[in-house]
Amino acid sequence: MVTVLFFGPVADRVGVGRLDVEFHAGMCLQDVFSGLQPQYPEAFGLVSLAAVNGAHATDMSLTLTDNCEVVFMSKFSGG
Amino acid sequence: MRDAVRIVLEDFSQDEEIRALQASSKRMGGIATFLGCARDFSEGREVSEIRFDSYDRMALPEMQKLRQEAIERFALIDARIVHRLGVVKAGDSIVFIAAGAEHRAPALEACRWIIDALKERVPIWKKEITPQGEAWVTPHP
Repeated sequence: MVTVLFFGPVADRVGVGRLDVEFHAGMCLQDVFSGLQPQYPEAFGLVSLAAVNGAHATDMSLTLTDNCEVVFMSKFSGG
Repeated sequence: MRDAVRIVLEDFSQDEEIRALQASSKRMGGIATFLGCARDFSEGREVSEIRFDSYDRMALPEMQKLRQEAIERFALIDARIVHRLGVVKAGDSIVFIAAGAEHRAPALEACRWIIDALKERVPIWKKEITPQGEAWVTPHP
């Protein structure tokens, strides 16, 4: 299973802060994005950053592992 | 002594942070600070409070990385960063940065660099609460 988390404006538009996605061998970050984007187009329209297991992920071809944590994020507005 | 980098729900004391920084070394010749506050207006609307959301697992480690990078980049003697989460009322403090160096120039430059980098790299989002409703803040350059 891959845990997908959402925060701030993306979470508001998805309607929940967490979704679980079935894991399969060879799965990459882009696969998760492409699987969810059609279901939540408004939320994913805001996404400009991603993280895997708590670290920035800029390579969408990054291979995922079972039980990993993925976050799709809009631009930050802290400070 | 409290950690040099913290995410807190309650208000913080700038004086305590500066004292802690100053106490870390007698080589310090300059301390520069930045305080970010909650405005009571935004884009023509009254703002009563700001609510924060964050990806906790990443936010604190990223702030710790920023501090270390700033120390190396500007040859700082020490630096401290405190950011509030939860609900912050208009007029209250949001973020405090203090940078100490042998001379004023690197301390001032480091403060500017840290707040700019924090806004770009630390996963925190703020929502303004107004009489007309709520709105997530779009990042400003």
